[in-house]
Amino acid sequence: MTRILLGLMAVSSFAAEVRLPEYTRTTLSNGVVVYLVRKPSVPLVSFRVMVRGGIESDPADLAGISAMAAQLLRRGTARRTADQFSSELDSLGGTFSASVNEQATIVAGEFLKKDFAAGLDLVSDAVLHPSFPEEETRKSLSRALDGAKALKDNPQAAISQYFRAFFYGPAHPYGHPPDEASYGSITRAAIADYAHRLYVGRNLIVLVGGDFDPAAAAGLVRSTFEPVPAGSAYEWAKDAKPLAGGRLLLIDKPDATQTYFRIAEPGIARTDPDRTALELVNTLFGGRFTSMLNDALRVNSGLTYGASSILDLHREPGAISIATYTRTDTTEKAMDMALDVLKRLNATGIDAAQLASVKAYVKGLYPTRELETADQVESVLGDIELFGLNRGEVDDLFSRIDAVTVERANAVARKWYGQGQLTFVVLGNAAKIREAVKKYAPSQTEVSVKDPGFMTRQ
Amino acid sequence: MKLLPAIVLSSALLLGAESGEVKSHTLSNGLKVLVQEDHSIPNVALYFFYRVGSRNERPGITGISHFFEHMMFNGAKKYGPKQFDNEMEKSGGNNNAYTSEDVTVYTDWFPSTALELMFDMESDRMANLAFDPKIIESERGVVYSERRTSVDNSNGGILYEQLRAAAYTAHPYHWPVVGWPSDIEAWTMDDLRAHYKMGYAPNNCTMVVVGDVTDENIMALAKKYIEPIPSQPPPPAVRTKEPEQLGERRVVVSKPAQLPIEYVAYHIPAAKDPDITVLDVLDAILTQGQSSRLYKRLVDSEQLVLNVGARGEESLDPGLFVFTMTPRSGIEPARAEKALFEEIAKLQTAPVPSDELRKAKNQLLALHYRQLKTIAGRANLLGSYEVFHGDYNKLFTIDKDIEAVTSADIQRVAQKYFSANNRTVATLVPEVKK
Repeated sequence: MTRILLGLMAVSSFAAEVRLPEYTRTTLSNGVVVYLVRKPSVPLVSFRVMVRGGIESDPADLAGISAMAAQLLRRGTARRTADQFSSELDSLGGTFSASVNEQATIVAGEFLKKDFAAGLDLVSDAVLHPSFPEEETRKSLSRALDGAKALKDNPQAAISQYFRAFFYGPAHPYGHPPDEASYGSITRAAIADYAHRLYVGRNLIVLVGGDFDPAAAAGLVRSTFEPVPAGSAYEWAKDAKPLAGGRLLLIDKPDATQTYFRIAEPGIARTDPDRTALELVNTLFGGRFTSMLNDALRVNSGLTYGASSILDLHREPGAISIATYTRTDTTEKAMDMALDVLKRLNATGIDAAQLASVKAYVKGLYPTRELETADQVESVLGDIELFGLNRGEVDDLFSRIDAVTVERANAVARKWYGQGQLTFVVLGNAAKIREAVKKYAPSQTEVSVKDPGFMTRQ
Repeated sequence: MKLLPAIVLSSALLLGAESGEVKSHTLSNGLKVLVQEDHSIPNVALYFFYRVGSRNERPGITGISHFFEHMMFNGAKKYGPKQFDNEMEKSGGNNNAYTSEDVTVYTDWFPSTALELMFDMESDRMANLAFDPKIIESERGVVYSERRTSVDNSNGGILYEQLRAAAYTAHPYHWPVVGWPSDIEAWTMDDLRAHYKMGYAPNNCTMVVVGDVTDENIMALAKKYIEPIPSQPPPPAVRTKEPEQLGERRVVVSKPAQLPIEYVAYHIPAAKDPDITVLDVLDAILTQGQSSRLYKRLVDSEQLVLNVGARGEESLDPGLFVFTMTPRSGIEPARAEKALFEEIAKLQTAPVPSDELRKAKNQLLALHYRQLKTIAGRANLLGSYEVFHGDYNKLFTIDKDIEAVTSADIQRVAQKYFSANNRTVATLVPEVKK
């Protein structure tokens, strides 16, 4: 049989390791950490500025404030109006984005090599000198409010927000997605105050990647970011825990012809020692096409276009959640099947052939997923800094993967999958599925997709 | 006003210097092969562009090209059901595929150690696909689920389907790539076999390889695995031409929704027509970036819409240029539409200032270079240019083509295509519950 031979040959001839390209890391006197990494394969340079905090730093009643601040950075600075900023950026053919994740605000811009100075000037002007003009703030808030409403028209986007609220609960820093009410409470003064406190030296990580002259770049980056006030370092949330399981949230969307669902249990933080083994196990469970979930729900039964398991990797422990959808009348069948696959992972575990396959898969794709372009490398380095890791995160990755034994993988599978009571979030035509989903959890809550918000005030 | 500097870089340089020249070959069975060596990472992007899509279908079998894309992963002669994915993943690779009106494209990404395996598996399914009735039924369910997700339960998806169905009355672009629901339910085994025979011949395919390979090795593997597959008659020419549109068409979709959506489409020529480059520049002027005309007016200053976008299709037969917008709550779609038409009228009546034209060109050139950053991006561009523009070498002159666009061109093209008679407007109106 060539099937096994081919696989073994491929594994044995893999690159033994991957390594980060050479880079420099400097800390300025005000705490700003600067990374420079040259990757001159195309004549482009990219800047990435990370601000510690992110979604975690949103007060519950002002959910979305970190994202609003990020969005407004380019809409008026000490030296430029919003129009001037956009016109300069677009004239250079540059890109600019500003978004938030669980633990950071990420501002990124990419420019032609020759526009290094102009690009850095635009990105730093936005990050360091936003003026949050009253009128721009009002327009952005009003647009965000409509955006929160429009999100309800997209079931997959909507269920993510309901899931966040229901799984973590309102007391958790990840548990309050922005909604109509929170956008209604955010003011210009609150945004300016937020940026004043968070966008300071001790919270900033600045990364420059691509094709540039390192000596000139180091000087320019230093002179740009050295004058930033050091401020005080953001204090991270501690020991945040999701709500207990045994609960089901049903979101009624009467016109839905299919049911979207999530089945979740508590997972790990980004720095958890189980992470390498768990990423392998989760990839086998629901992280690739041949995964156990996709094989059962899509390939063998045609119940869905895709079934997956999402392993959150944030600063605080996140969720491990099964995510899929199926037509309304197969809701129960698909949910039962997903639970069976979960039970099977917990009870039977994985075998040596599966483990060998997933190790090859993760290693084989790693270069294109994380190290091919300058912006990918910047993202990897930025996370290493943000999460307090070191370059071994990449350089030792393959040896950490190699070291995971079947016993270790199965211990991790038993520990994290099917631990106990699960949390269910189901979006669909409630009249047709209400009875069927009652058996999954002792505590049931139902809302309508037309109700304002995302179930944050339970 | 100061003149903006032009971006001066050549894509020939970008494609040629760092990463090796593109080499082109044709096998004796007609398969076209494009190879670009790039050893910066130990990985390969291998793309197969089959010239078969929903334009090669007919009523009754709409969506079968897309269904076939799924069936290509469900077993052939040497590699049975599930084996393509299993073998690929355990060799460190990943794949995907997409179907459009014009082409079906198979995309493989893998470490160079798996190169021979990929040739063995790709040639197996090109020559000897298996048709298992049980698998076909199961995959029908998968494709219907895909349709429910991307069309039936997506307000934008269902509106776009209705827009195309109204804009095309005769040409096969009338029906959706995913297929009408009744056809998804009704394809037969014979339909599938006939479609495979029509579309999946080596002479109907372009193979693109970019990455950690050598040209010699690729050609040796291609000769060993793919050259023995015989050529076949290509798919019959698509004879039907869409008749000229003689007046505005309007479609309304009524559906529960928080906000309305409006799409406005104009017929434009096929990808090979030089006006397509002019339309790209025009698109940048109207919608690229927050300094673009439509963003500034509709999103920012008048706050009529949540977002506005546009896309000119690059297709084998004459396609559509589509504007998309989501009116804000309390804003009648007609108001947003009026502002859009006024901005189009400005392009028709007044020349675009030189600075603004320069800005749009710089945006397009930079965007083009960004697409060349990854081996996957380059494989996709090379294949697309070969298929849609008839020659991958056109990729090397794109900067010159963009540079050549004048303000007069923009005005002429706006007048030629963006007329009321050539327009189809589709509006999703939130249903009012009694």
